Amino acid sequence: MTAANPTPTPLMQQPLHQPLIQMKPISLTINGAAIGPIQTPDGLMMIDFLHEYVGLTGSRLGCGQGVCHACVVILDKPDGSSEEVRSCITGAHFFDGKKVRTIEGHAKRNEQGEVVELSPVQQKFLEHFSFQCGYCTPGFVNAATVLIERLKREPIARESVEHEITKALDDHICRCTGYVRYYEAVRDVVLNTPGLVKDSA
Amino acid sequence: MAAKCRFPVKNLLVHPVYTVGYGSKDHFTVPFYGLVAAMYGDGRPVRLAFDRYEQFQTSIKRHASKMRYRIGIDKKTLLLQSFKAEFEVDGGGRCNFSPSVAMVGASGAQSIYYFPKSDLTGVAIASRAIDAGSARGYGTLQTMAATEMLIDEIATQLGLDAIDLRLENALRSGMKNTQGAIPAGAIRVDEVLQKAKVHPLWTERAKKKAEYELAHPGNRYGVGFACVQKDFGTGAESSFAKVEIAADGKITLHHTAAEIGTGVNTSQAIACAKWLGKPAAEVRMAIIDWPELPVVTSGDPYTMSQGEQDKLSANPRWSPGLISPSSATNSAFYFTHSTHEAARVVFTHGLWPAAMAIWSGGIGGGQAAPLVVRREEARWVEGKLTAAGLEPLSLEQLASKAHDLGLVTGAVVHVFNRWQWSEAEFNIDGVTERLPIDGLSLLHGAGKTDAKTDAKADAKIDAKAAKAPVPAVYRALDRKRVFIAPVSRNNAAVTYYSAVGTLVELAVNEASGRVSLLTHHSIMECGNMLSPQLVSGQLQGGLAMGIGHALHEYLPLYEDGPGNGTWNFNRYHLPRASDVAVWAQTGEVLPPLSETDPPKGMAEVVMIPVVGAIVNGIAHAIGHRFNDLPVTPQNIQEALA
Repeated sequence: MTAANPTPTPLMQQPLHQPLIQMKPISLTINGAAIGPIQTPDGLMMIDFLHEYVGLTGSRLGCGQGVCHACVVILDKPDGSSEEVRSCITGAHFFDGKKVRTIEGHAKRNEQGEVVELSPVQQKFLEHFSFQCGYCTPGFVNAATVLIERLKREPIARESVEHEITKALDDHICRCTGYVRYYEAVRDVVLNTPGLVKDSA
Repeated sequence: MAAKCRFPVKNLLVHPVYTVGYGSKDHFTVPFYGLVAAMYGDGRPVRLAFDRYEQFQTSIKRHASKMRYRIGIDKKTLLLQSFKAEFEVDGGGRCNFSPSVAMVGASGAQSIYYFPKSDLTGVAIASRAIDAGSARGYGTLQTMAATEMLIDEIATQLGLDAIDLRLENALRSGMKNTQGAIPAGAIRVDEVLQKAKVHPLWTERAKKKAEYELAHPGNRYGVGFACVQKDFGTGAESSFAKVEIAADGKITLHHTAAEIGTGVNTSQAIACAKWLGKPAAEVRMAIIDWPELPVVTSGDPYTMSQGEQDKLSANPRWSPGLISPSSATNSAFYFTHSTHEAARVVFTHGLWPAAMAIWSGGIGGGQAAPLVVRREEARWVEGKLTAAGLEPLSLEQLASKAHDLGLVTGAVVHVFNRWQWSEAEFNIDGVTERLPIDGLSLLHGAGKTDAKTDAKADAKIDAKAAKAPVPAVYRALDRKRVFIAPVSRNNAAVTYYSAVGTLVELAVNEASGRVSLLTHHSIMECGNMLSPQLVSGQLQGGLAMGIGHALHEYLPLYEDGPGNGTWNFNRYHLPRASDVAVWAQTGEVLPPLSETDPPKGMAEVVMIPVVGAIVNGIAHAIGHRFNDLPVTPQNIQEALA
């Protein structure tokens, strides 16, 4: 406590019409649907926006500090490429005007909104018994989907498939599975989707 | 909780599984936080959402453990003579399973060996650390991994092959464990050891060490092995199962087991096929209300006297235990038992007599008359039932017939196991049968005047309508006699084991101290697998967790530990795919002795031998034996300095 700071105005006496949280509108495309504008607190993390403002609760908060990658969403860029973005450390307003996909957007649905067909990655995860508790699964689905989409644009040689899968997924933490069945499922998709592997028979 | 609460709480519903963390499920303080938060909810639902820092602060931890072992061996015969072990677990501030972790850890310390003499002490202490509780391995991760490190050290000191020494001393079928109990069935650790002994990772380790170190200067190569067998179950395992078959052949399974991600709903659905020819189509897990079979319990199954048990068991609805949580690797063996027994009653008293009625139809006793038909010759072949050359019948035909004839079409069973199943005699449709269950309730088909189809259609539309017929139709039987395992079984404990041996090939970087797993191979014995995919998933996941325990995962006790709120996955390194030899690892499961081996629990044992194998492999690589885990790069740099 020094006298250098001349009596600051106590918080209670500040004018009430100046809210402590600034609200700003967001408009974006989520899973192909235009959302917003929604008044959203400035600085709100994307995962909280998804959970609390648009009711999409499938993205998982794992660490909250960008380490475990359970929370990633897919950002679709104007050039047709896609990338993973960690929604626990990225503000919702970063996505203003952008296109994102979440775990809810992979499967095909009918007019009633019921799932009628899983995406190839989801389907192979099921067939390979890839996940156990399922907490990290939305992140793995998104990461594997981004990898598949990249390989469609930039096919790789057969001998580098395992290495590329490890590079793409290694940041994703899983407590239950030991990763083997996730990785084998992704390899199954890569090897059985035409055009992802160069000079494949 | 409702009774202890000083607020006017009327009902408290704790979902059987509200977390997905191994070993942090049912005995935990967090539900109380939810209860307190609800007081301020003004009647509205309250959701508690913790961030990961808070989860590190609050979640129960694995017991930090100290082991002090002395093993005596006869140098001439190479036989282990005695084992003296002192085991201390730090339980933290609240007593949460600590005494039983100490007991189970001590009783598991023998690993796979026969010790003629043993003196084991397990002590749980209280401390200011965060509460420790039930965690995968339950004390035996610590004690058995330590035994495996010591056995390896003994072999090195005596100049012996470490697998040969194990083979000399491995427990064989019919031999006693350190508590004096004879384990269930055949012990097959010698087969696991024989397979490891001839595996190229083991036989070529000296040659590969020389080659690898020549090709990778600055790196040391090592191969390590460990083998353990771990018990599964708690000594008071109980569950309910209901298996029902509709007139159209649809199988429904209800079970008390709660799915925690290990696939118990899949495995129990599959278990129905043993008796009913195909898996259950509808499965409901974590059912806790069983109006069809009102079983009561009282007393403590672990500490009650024989006199008390005898007195209580006069009540035909009494059992020493009611419902077990999903824990202690109890689904494959214990939960499958109740599913199997419920399905068996439906088969024996429903589908089989229905099949006989069809096969015996027609003049002169039909197609069955010229043959001798034995029930034990019944076989499901491609979804159809046949026996002794009789026409294969579809499940739909059999179910429809069973319903028409008013045979058994549904059964609810209750089971209890104290390292041995309770058995009881029941009078089923005029026949007295002794079954390995202690409670039974039966549903019979409605007979030919079939109003059932309509009732079912109604039930789908109106849940209230469905409620009415069910309790009316199920009839709980009074058991005639009951045979509960004597309470003295509690003293000897532990009779069910699964074995795993793991070989690890690793490289130690001299400069960084980093240990890289090049590959690993595991050999497991777990009876008949309900689902090989689920088994391998547990093996792979357990191995990753064991690798983390050996090399990466560390939380300091006390003030600098996770209680200070600064711990998260940036500091607590969970193994990544690149840490577990994700593409190179292999595993195999011994074929069962026959198709009649029961499935055995293996979801804990899988994580243990890899711990010992890594530390033994590091010793092979750099000649230094660590006895403190995890072995960090810094530890290795200090050892090499």
